[in-house]
Amino acid sequence: MKRHVACLLLSFFSTTVRADAAAVDFNHDVRPILSENCFHCHGPDNATRQADLRFDVPDSAMSVIEPGNPESSELIRRILSTDPDVQMPPPESRKQLTSDQRQILKEWVRQKGSFENHWSFKPPLRRPPPELENDTWSRGVIDKFILARLRDLNLSPSPAAHRATLARRIALDLTGLPLSPDALDEFLQDDSQSSLETLIDRLMHSPRYGEHMALRWLEASRYADTDGYQNDRYRYQHVWRDWVIEAFNRNMPYDQFAIEQMAGDMLPNATLRQQIATGFGRNHRINSEDGSIPEEWRTENVVDRVDTFGTVFLGLTVGCARCHDHKYDPISQREYYQLFAYFNNVAEWGVGPNNGNSPPFIEIPKNWPDLSPGEDQLISPEPVKLRNARAEAGNGLQRPQAGSPSTLMVMHELLEPRKAYILQRGQYNMPDRTAPVTPGVPDSLAISEQSMPRDRLELAKWLFEPSHPLTARVAVNRLWQQFFATGLVETSENFGSQGSPPSHPKLLDWLALELIRNDWDIRVIQKQILMSQTYQQSSQFTENLMERDPKNQLHARGPRGRLPAFTLRDQALAVSGLLVEKIGGPSTKPYMPPKIWKSISNNTYKQDKGANLFRRSLYTYWRRTIPPPTMMNFNAAAREVCIVRTETTNTPLQALTLMNNKVFIESSRWLAQRMILQAGNAPEQAIRRGYRLTVGRLPNSEELDIMRQTYVSFLRQYRESPSEARKLLATGTTQRDQTIPPAQHAAMTMIATILLNLDETVSKE
Amino acid sequence: MNQESLTRRSMLLGSLALTSLLNRESLANDQASRVHQGLPTLPHFAPRAKRVIYLFQSGGPAQMDLFDYKPELAKRFGEEVPRSVYPDDRKTTMSSAQASFPVAPSTFKFSRRGQAGSWISNALTHTGTMADEMCIIRSMHTDAINHDPAITFQQTGSQIPGRPSIGSWIGYGLGSHNDNLPAFVAMSSRGSGKAGQPLYDRLWGSGFLPSKHQGVKFRNQGDPVLDITDPAGISRDQRRTMLDSLKKLNQLKYDRIQDPEIETRIAQYELAYRMQMSVPDLLDFSDEPKHVVDMYGQDAKTPGRYAYNCLIARRLAERGVRFIQLFHQGWDQHVNLPTQIGKQCQDTDQPTAALLRDLKQRGMLDDTLIIWGGEFGRTIYSQGKLSEKSYGRDHHPSCFTMWMAGGGIQGGVNHGSTDDYSVNVAEDGVSIHDLHATVLHLLGIDHERLIHKFQGRDFRLTDVHGTVVEPLLA
Repeated sequence: MKRHVACLLLSFFSTTVRADAAAVDFNHDVRPILSENCFHCHGPDNATRQADLRFDVPDSAMSVIEPGNPESSELIRRILSTDPDVQMPPPESRKQLTSDQRQILKEWVRQKGSFENHWSFKPPLRRPPPELENDTWSRGVIDKFILARLRDLNLSPSPAAHRATLARRIALDLTGLPLSPDALDEFLQDDSQSSLETLIDRLMHSPRYGEHMALRWLEASRYADTDGYQNDRYRYQHVWRDWVIEAFNRNMPYDQFAIEQMAGDMLPNATLRQQIATGFGRNHRINSEDGSIPEEWRTENVVDRVDTFGTVFLGLTVGCARCHDHKYDPISQREYYQLFAYFNNVAEWGVGPNNGNSPPFIEIPKNWPDLSPGEDQLISPEPVKLRNARAEAGNGLQRPQAGSPSTLMVMHELLEPRKAYILQRGQYNMPDRTAPVTPGVPDSLAISEQSMPRDRLELAKWLFEPSHPLTARVAVNRLWQQFFATGLVETSENFGSQGSPPSHPKLLDWLALELIRNDWDIRVIQKQILMSQTYQQSSQFTENLMERDPKNQLHARGPRGRLPAFTLRDQALAVSGLLVEKIGGPSTKPYMPPKIWKSISNNTYKQDKGANLFRRSLYTYWRRTIPPPTMMNFNAAAREVCIVRTETTNTPLQALTLMNNKVFIESSRWLAQRMILQAGNAPEQAIRRGYRLTVGRLPNSEELDIMRQTYVSFLRQYRESPSEARKLLATGTTQRDQTIPPAQHAAMTMIATILLNLDETVSKE
Repeated sequence: MNQESLTRRSMLLGSLALTSLLNRESLANDQASRVHQGLPTLPHFAPRAKRVIYLFQSGGPAQMDLFDYKPELAKRFGEEVPRSVYPDDRKTTMSSAQASFPVAPSTFKFSRRGQAGSWISNALTHTGTMADEMCIIRSMHTDAINHDPAITFQQTGSQIPGRPSIGSWIGYGLGSHNDNLPAFVAMSSRGSGKAGQPLYDRLWGSGFLPSKHQGVKFRNQGDPVLDITDPAGISRDQRRTMLDSLKKLNQLKYDRIQDPEIETRIAQYELAYRMQMSVPDLLDFSDEPKHVVDMYGQDAKTPGRYAYNCLIARRLAERGVRFIQLFHQGWDQHVNLPTQIGKQCQDTDQPTAALLRDLKQRGMLDDTLIIWGGEFGRTIYSQGKLSEKSYGRDHHPSCFTMWMAGGGIQGGVNHGSTDDYSVNVAEDGVSIHDLHATVLHLLGIDHERLIHKFQGRDFRLTDVHGTVVEPLLA
């Protein structure tokens, strides 16, 4: 519902910005209507096309359109008809045009019915930023694009956010952790012009930056610690995860980042690091279930690689063309299997080994990540060695060898490529053997000066052809989404015909070209965004903005919203002093509910002890069939398939977690201890310290009053029942400072738990 | 979903007022709809059932040992199952390389039960007492031969994980009747036989539907709902005090910032507080008369047992939960089937019958749809060694038995049949999509019109398939 409202809004705005308010824009106004209501039978899909008519290409559509003359156009006659035999869309399609949609189509035909290719299939255009009179607001190009739109709509930007608020926003966005009070003070006391830039640079060079940036990529890459089907066997891919963290921390250019992950194994003189990067292509689920048919599940592996490639790099739902031509976008079923052919030659077996890594895998040197030059060389994985799955006579299943915890699954090509065919209805056992396919990209994405990429490496390089219409747009859109919650293209997973049109198309193109111009340096783009006035606005809501732009897609205020799952836990650990900052290594097993695995599966969760309980949440062991419930509760991606956009819900189960979950209570106990020890005995001082630690500001007098009274009430109760105080203080596994009287500590723990549950604490603002 | 209700008039005519109005409504709805009221277009027609209790038997119960009576096969003990009946390419790789595929007739006796004289195994004596409420479908068939794809297909209409589960579709479509409990609750239990197949959180997941529609799994260990219990050392009064202060502080924030999410958050904390009371109340059986608990059997007093979950299911149904699904593990008998399936029946037979009877006595069976069944059936040939007393059975997708009762189902009906070997459907086959279409139909939903758009495409529980099975309907 919300989305449609937003579309409506944007449509309204975009039409009003033009001088001629009634000018119809094909891509913005008409294509969505045709796509949603007509393409299903009159679109790209050859097999289901009716009456040999299609609305996705002009020549065909013109057979039912008289430009400039709606009354004599068959299209208009059909959509206006009430005769069920004539009416379009037909009643049985269950599609229905609204009267406004009919009006738009009529108007479009009256205005000569011009067609354009879908915007995202055309290369980004460099357009000069708008010239604005009396613009004292804009700091850079981003702001000019944003301000021009706001002015057109008679809106003005919000004032800048308070510096402390802004510092917290930036720190959470770049590192997933709040600033310590000392770091915040340092920033607040720096009154030089460059103080913000200094802060941003410092945060970008913190190892916590790479960890935080890695998170969304892990979700997109469906990274997990188990295989994902049935018994959900263990795998070992954390070395790849650490490669990603390191890549972000070394600011690897995005083209290199993508090419090495896509095809590092095929680069000339490939290094071991480049080979490790290709773990990306092996993060898909692997079926190990007894009784499985290997070819069926090998096909699913390849499909997953194709679909992930489509979503994460192209922003297209290519998977829709697996069983038939794409209904909305120019991708035929044949073209789907041409993409399939790039990913079809991995030296793999369709069924897993029933615990451990599936071949191809390589042995990782013990001193990783500190490799000597001699060690940093590609390792040839051993080929698949099959053995009978079980000794029992009659069992026909064969399994490959299993890789130990010191191995990593990587991409590795067969010498002799597998033959690829169109799979009828997408079924592994229905290849159309009369029609073999060779690797190739869809015609609609053919970049003229370039010959067809022949293999996976050339495909990876093709993504970074300067005139590629999608790669850079899709990448900068995700960067925007990460800071503003909503991308310039809201459907960051779908830039196709059914996706949402960009809110600021020129800005999107400008950012995409900036990324290319800066040699795919992600930090340059991030910094431009963070340094913009647009980003630095106050996130204060106003009634006017609430009505006109509830999702803040016009950016008349700064971003505000609930923190992601991982950040919520990390923040609690950080402000309480429990966080253990150590990069990488095998996944950790922090607190989970009792018998989290045993209750529904045949495995036992063995909780870690000591430091591993308090590592950052991105290291938490990810069992696909039973993912960490507190993370899922706050909308973490499930890691089943590639996910580039998650929702942000607000539910009672989240309240229960933040109030009652062990790690949040233990954090409260530690936070309370910190507050008392750092502030001395006066409760007011401790409360002030707590505010500084959690939200980076001091409480106002009203807040302080509420907290003080609450503290006094809890203190009285815990003095009356010291055993209850001791019970509360026993939560978790860590020792407390025994010099603090239990009643005082327990009462302050309750204050700390209120602090950790404040809307302000759980939100970026 | 509500394209119809939204006009695009403002696109050309520039009606800002209308645009604003629509936005205000959508936000107001978001705030008010702590409890999802369902889609405004639903139900499509008058429902026969208001809620569903789905007794999922995980692992694949053997149809020929429980419902699909094949007395003639006793004469063919040990004979090869003809390849013409059972081609090799439809066998799983667990048994496809066996040297022979000998007929293993069921060792169980069957009796005619109820007025309709339905043949039911004596292993299900209690269930048999409710035969006249049940519609037994002996002609179910599925596409998948292994547990994960098959159970995923049963739950989501697709073998490949990623689609919403049936319960989340129904919660999404119809909403909840209860402010303090979720629309979809899942529970699991283990049989007393050997360990069963694992379950996965995605079986009650919401796929691409908004995540608030995912089933809430009542855990059989520790807190039934994650973090529902206050930590040791925090009393209810103290929780109230904490919440009151939190509310005041958040309200102050809202007054300054005006973000409607803050108001929602305040409301969600209050709802959480109410859930903390309603869940223990749900699980407290002290208000149940002894004869009711006794009807479900001894296990009804032990959390985590099937009987206990059946009683919870009835209490959830009474409280307005829309879709209640029990998963009972342990029906995967590749070896030693007669003993193992006997244990499964002991665990489940009496409580299943008690649940039907209990609902009937309360007048709730008429509008509560009960579904019983697993992800597939089992082979008539013995997997591994065959003896007079024992055999194993491999997975079998081409035919299996499920039954339904209550809400809009015609009782005492036997639908469909299989061939002489219980290998193929002989008449009136019912696919998983047909089953889903029928369940939705009973709830007043046209399965072709319950649609959610995802990544630009319309999705349905039944994909592009499914036909309502009219003969099952009362």
